[in-house]
Amino acid sequence: MKGLFLLMKACLAIVLLVLVCGCMAPQAKQEKKLDPVFFPPAPDPPRIQFLLSIGNSLDVEGREVETSLFAVKPVENRRARSLLKPFGVALHGDLIYVADSLIGRVAVINLREKSFEWLKGDERGGKLQKPLNLTTDAEGNLYVADVGRNRILVYDAAGNFTSILGDGYDIEPVDVAVDERHVYVLDRNSSQILVLRKRDGELVEGLGQGRENLYENLWLPTTMTLSDRGVFYVANAGTGMIIQIDRDGNFLSSLGKMGDRPGQFARPRGVALDSDGRLYVVDAGHQNVQMFNKDNRLLMHFGDPGVSRGYLNVPAGIAVSNENLDLYQQYAEPNFKLEQVIFVISQIQPFHLNIYGLGKKTDFDYEGYYRKTEELRQQEAGDAGTEDGK
Amino acid sequence: MTRLSPANVSSLGLCLLLFLFLLPTLCVAADSCSTGACHADMSGVKFGHMPVADGECSSCHEQILEAHPVAEGKSFRLVEQGAALCYQCHDSYGKMLTVHPPVADGECTFCHNPHGSNAGPKLLPVADDLKELCTQCHDEGMFNQQFVHGPAASGACTQCHNPHQANQPRLLKKSVRNTCTGCHTDIGDGLATAPVIHAAVEEASCLTCHNPHSAPAAKLLQKDVESVCLECHGDVGRKAQRAKVKHAALYREEKCTGCHTAHFSNNDGLLFLKEQDVCFTCHGKNDYHKSNALKNIAAQVEGKPYLHGPLEDGQCSACHQPHGSDYFRMLNGPYPETFYYPYTSGSYDFCLGCHDSNMLRFESTSIYTEFRNGKQNLHFLHVANQYKGRTCRACHEPHASNIDKLMNEVGAEFGEWNVPVRFNKTETGGSCSPGCHQNYAYDRENPVSYER
Repeated sequence: MKGLFLLMKACLAIVLLVLVCGCMAPQAKQEKKLDPVFFPPAPDPPRIQFLLSIGNSLDVEGREVETSLFAVKPVENRRARSLLKPFGVALHGDLIYVADSLIGRVAVINLREKSFEWLKGDERGGKLQKPLNLTTDAEGNLYVADVGRNRILVYDAAGNFTSILGDGYDIEPVDVAVDERHVYVLDRNSSQILVLRKRDGELVEGLGQGRENLYENLWLPTTMTLSDRGVFYVANAGTGMIIQIDRDGNFLSSLGKMGDRPGQFARPRGVALDSDGRLYVVDAGHQNVQMFNKDNRLLMHFGDPGVSRGYLNVPAGIAVSNENLDLYQQYAEPNFKLEQVIFVISQIQPFHLNIYGLGKKTDFDYEGYYRKTEELRQQEAGDAGTEDGK
Repeated sequence: MTRLSPANVSSLGLCLLLFLFLLPTLCVAADSCSTGACHADMSGVKFGHMPVADGECSSCHEQILEAHPVAEGKSFRLVEQGAALCYQCHDSYGKMLTVHPPVADGECTFCHNPHGSNAGPKLLPVADDLKELCTQCHDEGMFNQQFVHGPAASGACTQCHNPHQANQPRLLKKSVRNTCTGCHTDIGDGLATAPVIHAAVEEASCLTCHNPHSAPAAKLLQKDVESVCLECHGDVGRKAQRAKVKHAALYREEKCTGCHTAHFSNNDGLLFLKEQDVCFTCHGKNDYHKSNALKNIAAQVEGKPYLHGPLEDGQCSACHQPHGSDYFRMLNGPYPETFYYPYTSGSYDFCLGCHDSNMLRFESTSIYTEFRNGKQNLHFLHVANQYKGRTCRACHEPHASNIDKLMNEVGAEFGEWNVPVRFNKTETGGSCSPGCHQNYAYDRENPVSYER
C-alpha cells in the first residue's frame, strides 16, 4: 500500500513537472528559410531583393509561444498590434513611421531594437483621425497629413505632439514635405502645393496651377516628394502623370501619362527619390513600383500584383534610404550587396510594409551584361532596319 | 771566285741526294685539281672554301671514269646532291618556322659559290653590302623609295634577317618589335616603362605605320604622318575636315605630331606633355608679331586663385575641341560669338552642359542661382532679356580670375573698350558698378527695391 502511494506521488510529480516546464518555456518560433524573391526575375540579373514584410508588432518583436500538454498548437503569448490599412511611410534614423488611415494611428517601428509602438503624441490635441502621408525633417520632427482633421499635425523626435498647421485654411492635405524654411502641403482641394512658413504656419503661396497647358498643372494630386535641390515630384490621379515643379512654382517637366504600358500610370500614388537620383513611383492600379533614372527613362519595375511574399496588393506610400544598410543586409542573400533600402506599403493584408533592397550580386559582372545586352539590342535594331530597307 | 772545299762539296752532294729521294713525295702532295692547269682559277681565291684550299676536292667530288678529262660527259660527280652535299659538313637547315626558299629547295649555290669568292666571306659573291645579292630575287623597288632605312641602304640585310631560317615571319631573327627596339633602344625603354602606349604599337606592330626598308615619307612612314594617323583615326580626320572653326596646329608641318607622340607617353591621348602644357606651348606666350595673335592663356591663368573647374584639373579639352569644332573658339557646343545674344533654348548649350539651364529659364527662383534679388533671377534678367541679352563673358572670365565666381576683373572686350564689372560680394548678395549701368545692389534675403 505504501509502495502504491509512493508510485502515485512519483507519477503526479512527473505530470506536474511536464506541465510546469511546458508552460514556463516560451520559445522563439523557428522561421523556415524561404526562397529569395528577386526582381527582375531570372534570367535577368537581379537588382532588387524582397527582404521582409511587417504586418503587425509580432513581425518586429518576434513571436514567442507557449507549449503545454493542454494546447494542440503553440499559442502567442502577446497580443499583436496590427496595421489594418496603412498608406504612407516615412523614415528617420532607425525609425520607420507608418500611417494607418483606417485605425487612425501612426506606428513607430525600430527594427534594430525590435520595437513596434503607436505614436506617443497621438492623443488629445495631437489625436489623429485619418493620417495618409507623413514626413520628417532634419531634426527628426514628424509631420503628418491628416485628411480626417484636414490639418498637418507635428510631433517631435520623441513622438510628443508639438503643433498643428493649416488652421484657418480650407484644405484637404494628402501629403506633406518640409525644408529648412517651409512646410509644403499637398492640398487635394485646390490641387496645389501650399507653402506654409515653418515658424508660424502662415500661407505664403500656392504652387502647381496657372500653366496654360492643363497637363502641366496638378490635378487630383495624391502624393509628392521633395528633392534636396528643391524640386517636387507630384503624382496626379487626374492625369496619371508625375509633375516636376520647383519650390518656386516653375514647371520643369512631366513623366508618364494614363495608360497600362511601361512608363505609364493607372493610379499613381507614392513617389520617392533615392540618393542616386532614381525616381520610384508606386501605382495602385498596376500594383507595382516603376523606377526611372534622372532623365526620366524607365529602368525597371518590381513588386507586381500578388498575395505572396514580395508582391504588392493595392500599394500606396514609399520611402527609400541608403542608411542603415548593415541592418538590412542580414535579410539579403549573402552575395547580394545592398545599395538602397525601399519601403513600400500594401494597403491590403497580409504584407503591409514590404521592405526591398536595391543592390547587386557580388559575383556577377553587371556592366559586362548590360554592355552586351545593349550591343545585341543595337544589332537587332540594325538588322530590323536592314530588313525594313529590303 | 770562291773555291769549294772538299767538305762543302760532300755536304752539298748529300743534300742533293736527299732532295732527289723526297722529290716524288713532294710532287704528289702539290698535285691537286686546282693546282693543275685545268682548274687553276679555283686556287688562290681570297675567301676559299676550306676543302678547296686543302685540296680535298674528293670530299665533294668522286671520280666515276678513269679517264679525265673526257671529251664527252664527266668523269667526276658530286658525292651528294643539293644541300645534302653541304650538310656533310655544315649543320642542316629547315627545322624552323620560316625557311628561306632556296634553303628549303636545297639550292645553296643560289647564294654561295662552293669553291670560294674573291668578293666577301661566307662564299658569297658580294662583300658586306648584300643588297646586290638579295635583290637578285627580291624586288629592288622596296629599297629605292625616298627615305631608306640605314641597314637597308648599306645592305646589312642580315642585321634583321636570318638568310637561312628563323622562327619569326619574314626570316626575322626576332619579333618585329624586338627587331626594331634592338637598335632603337630609346623607344624600347619607353615602351617598357611608359603608362600610355599607342595601341598600334601595343596591339599591332611597328609595320602598321613604318616601312622597314624604305618609304615615301620621313621616319620611314608608309604615307605622310597625317595619312598614317587617319588610317585608324578616321573619325578625327572627318571631324577636322567638317569643322567650321579649324585648329591651325593641325595644319602645320608637324601635323598630328605637333601635340602627340607616336609610340608612348606619360600622358593621356599620347600627348607629349600634360594636356594644358601642350596647349600652352602655343597659347602660353605673347605673340607680338601677328596682327591676329594668339592669346596668352597661360598668363591669364597664372597665379589666379579662382580657376574654371576643368582648368583646375588641367583640362582644356573639357571645353575646347582640339581637332576643330563648329562653334566659336572651337568650343564643345553652342555659345554666342557676339557680345549681345538673348538666351534662347540651345543657344548657350555649351555653358549649360555643366551649369544648370534652369538658371536662364525662370524669371523667379530660389534655387538655380545666387545672383538674385530675393527671388528675382538676375541671371535671367541679364542674359534672357530678349531685347539685349548679354553673353556670359560680359561679366565672367572663361579661364581664371582673382575674384570668386570668375568675375571679370579687367573688363570684357567690347570693341575698343574693356567694360569693367566692379563686382562686390556680400554675405547675402552683392553689387556691381559696371560700365553698363549705375551701381546696383542685390540681396537674396532682403530684396533691394529698384523703384525710383
